Amino acid sequence: MPNAIALKVLIVDDQNSVRQMTRLNLEEIGIRHIHEAENGRKAMETASVQPLDLIISDYYMPEMDGLALLRAVRGHPVARKVPFILLTGRGDRELVVKAAQAGVNNYLIKPFSAAILRGKIEQVMGKLS
Amino acid sequence: MASLDQLKLTFFDECGEALQQIEAGLTDIRAGQGSDETVNAVFRAVHSVKGGAGIFGFEALVGFAHVFETVLDGIRRGTQEATPETLDVLLAASDVLSDLVQMSRDGASVPPDFGSDCRNALEQIIAGDHADKGAGEGENAIAPADFDEIDFTPVRVDQMDSGPNLADQSGPDAIASLKSFAITFRPKAEMLKKGNEPLYIFRELRKLGDFDLIAEMDGLPPLGEIEPSRPYLAWSGTLRCAASRAEIEQVFEFVAGDCDLEIVEAVPVIALSMTETAEMPVSATPEPNYPAPAPTPDATSDKGAAAAKVSTPAASVAKETAPVAGAAKESAPAASVSRAPSAKPAATTTRIELEKIDRVVNMVGELVIAQAMLGQIVLDLPEGTSGRLSQVLEEVRHHTRELKDSVMSMRAQPVGAVFQRMPRLVRELATKTNKKVRLEMAGETTEVDRSIIERLGDPLTHIIRNSVDHGIESPADRLTAGKSEEGTIRLAAEHRGSRIVIEIIDDGAGINSERVLKKARERGLIGADAVLSDDEINNLIMLPGFSTAETISDISGRGVGMDVVRSNIQNIGGRISLKSERGRGMTIQLALPLTLAVMDGMVIKVGKEIYVMPLSAIIECLRPARSEISNLIGTRGMLQLRGDLLPLVNLGDLLDIESATTDIDETVVIITDAGEGSRFGIVVDELCGHQQVVMKSIEESYGSVPGIAAATILGNGRVAFILDVEKLSDLAANSSFGAAYSSKAPLDVKAA
Repeated sequence: MPNAIALKVLIVDDQNSVRQMTRLNLEEIGIRHIHEAENGRKAMETASVQPLDLIISDYYMPEMDGLALLRAVRGHPVARKVPFILLTGRGDRELVVKAAQAGVNNYLIKPFSAAILRGKIEQVMGKLS
Repeated sequence: MASLDQLKLTFFDECGEALQQIEAGLTDIRAGQGSDETVNAVFRAVHSVKGGAGIFGFEALVGFAHVFETVLDGIRRGTQEATPETLDVLLAASDVLSDLVQMSRDGASVPPDFGSDCRNALEQIIAGDHADKGAGEGENAIAPADFDEIDFTPVRVDQMDSGPNLADQSGPDAIASLKSFAITFRPKAEMLKKGNEPLYIFRELRKLGDFDLIAEMDGLPPLGEIEPSRPYLAWSGTLRCAASRAEIEQVFEFVAGDCDLEIVEAVPVIALSMTETAEMPVSATPEPNYPAPAPTPDATSDKGAAAAKVSTPAASVAKETAPVAGAAKESAPAASVSRAPSAKPAATTTRIELEKIDRVVNMVGELVIAQAMLGQIVLDLPEGTSGRLSQVLEEVRHHTRELKDSVMSMRAQPVGAVFQRMPRLVRELATKTNKKVRLEMAGETTEVDRSIIERLGDPLTHIIRNSVDHGIESPADRLTAGKSEEGTIRLAAEHRGSRIVIEIIDDGAGINSERVLKKARERGLIGADAVLSDDEINNLIMLPGFSTAETISDISGRGVGMDVVRSNIQNIGGRISLKSERGRGMTIQLALPLTLAVMDGMVIKVGKEIYVMPLSAIIECLRPARSEISNLIGTRGMLQLRGDLLPLVNLGDLLDIESATTDIDETVVIITDAGEGSRFGIVVDELCGHQQVVMKSIEESYGSVPGIAAATILGNGRVAFILDVEKLSDLAANSSFGAAYSSKAPLDVKAA
């Protein structure tokens, strides 16, 4: 049973407000180690040097989008096993399919509550304590 | 921890940036300067607004942004052509979006039919797109749909496999049901002897999909005991593929009897299961431009290749539409060459409450005062005792100035914040007046203090309105005049010294000087026989009560004229000047201070009183010879300066100060510019020096005092008033001595 306090989570989104909102929700769940990145490229830089337990990433971002990030993570020697949750908008069905093929662990439709976020994380990580 | 309200503010700030990006991007595309990345950036920006709005619960905003985004997505994917008509709708949509953001920000409730025209137009484009595509999606296709029903099985972290992903091999259009098989393969002793090579089998499996393999080496004997013809290894792996079990079994066909084989279908990674897909109403398909999801092959079907086949229609849709995208690109030959992409790299910023910065600004102000006091004390020290102290003080002065500049730059904002409202304004006005107008903007990143930005909006709006309404001619008139049908207005900002200069240049008809002169005479603004230069005539339009528009249009000419613009600009310490060339266009120049909090001032003395005059208003200071001054009326005189005659105003008289020096030889004349080119001389007793002063408003306590702009505290702790030169000139004109000259009818009498 993973301990929420011990989890290291990376939030990737180009919008600061969404990052902060996600952070608030993560904090509500009890997660304390939260990194942020504003696009896929920066996320990859973080993921390369920082041991992570989970990546939560948006799809639409300049420079490197969420799918490209997912593929880069899965192809990365160190980070490839890091669970990945993709943030999508309502209706991005095709995106979820592509992400599934690229090895996404779960997806999360914006907007979401802390409870939904927790549920999605637990589906991947197991019940959080 | 940030509160929800703060996050909302952050979101709205982002919206502002996004809206700017949308506007700029669409304008670029409209002008044929857009690239694929421009479209993408605009799409992303709209998407961001939608996403954030969803999170913060602004439903009206989400709904509209969704339709907007759908059209953009079509263009992005090439299923929708970016015609000028479409772009006009999109530009209108960016206006509506901006309004919706504003309403959400203000917490106003959005009327249910708000922006419905524009929304309908967007939906029509989407519907048209459907007709072209011939796809059977229903008319409600744009309704946001949820797809929580997707049978997506989250992948638990302990079930994760890795390696190259399938998507890379099968291409983006392979919408197929992926199954996961756990395969254990244990060759029996005979297998290798029959010439079967496990490697080939694995290669075959790799062709089916994403295959991960682990060798079990438990059975491996010490090297000496190895028998080359015997298999010692066993393998277990995970195959993620669209193929069926039967197909996998086929691979092992030749070794079937010679190995222990176990193929177990694992929890599906993803299955857009047949039934669920079918149950989803077609009309609710959220993104109509997406290829229709391919029906998923029956999981138990043994024709595994079916998956690839069904996905081909989707692929062909994409292919058919590709030329459209190409055409859109061709129609914009300048694509992606002349301009940097609208997407700007995010700067590293931190948000600070304005109040906190203002507190720092105040402290710096106090510091400037304290430093001035210190300077005064050092100055008063006996000769020879202050050497080292003066040096240090000079250093302090230097640092204070830098500190002030840094703090001011924190308060500074790019003028783009005001500029970004203008394209929409021009667009709307051009439509209303049936004119064709293009707005060019430059120097949007030029920074100026917030307080200036806040008070720049109205004057600028007014000037631009005038330009479109009165300046730019109708397309027909322009053609007759030998100009291009489309008028151009250029809005540019740049730093010049300690000021920011904003120019509004149009290539319209310019000012009709005869008409202006006639009108000015009719209204008694100038004498019947006054001889005025062209520039002076043009400047008449900035006098109160002057409006030459023959018809009062919906847009301008409601009595709020250029005089208000002028006083607005002057209230923030700025200057406005105007040049016009008949038939060629007009240039209006605004020169503004970079900040309102601290300014450079000249400390002057009249009698026992000390005043500060803004350095920006001073052209020169001089001590004229008696022969250069002619006393015309009373104590008022005229100064003959390099061929020009300038009116003189005695500050002591004007402000009723006793004990002011009357001896002309003892006084100093400060030549000032009261705007619109009318210069006059102010007679004072003494210049005490140049100093940075912190402006302290007195309006709250004393109301508006004519001739006084603000107050400041000097180095010696004394309070001094900062003079308002413009108002002084009005005062002089209105005083009993003012008959000879009026600042309102600038009279630059040429020396005979």
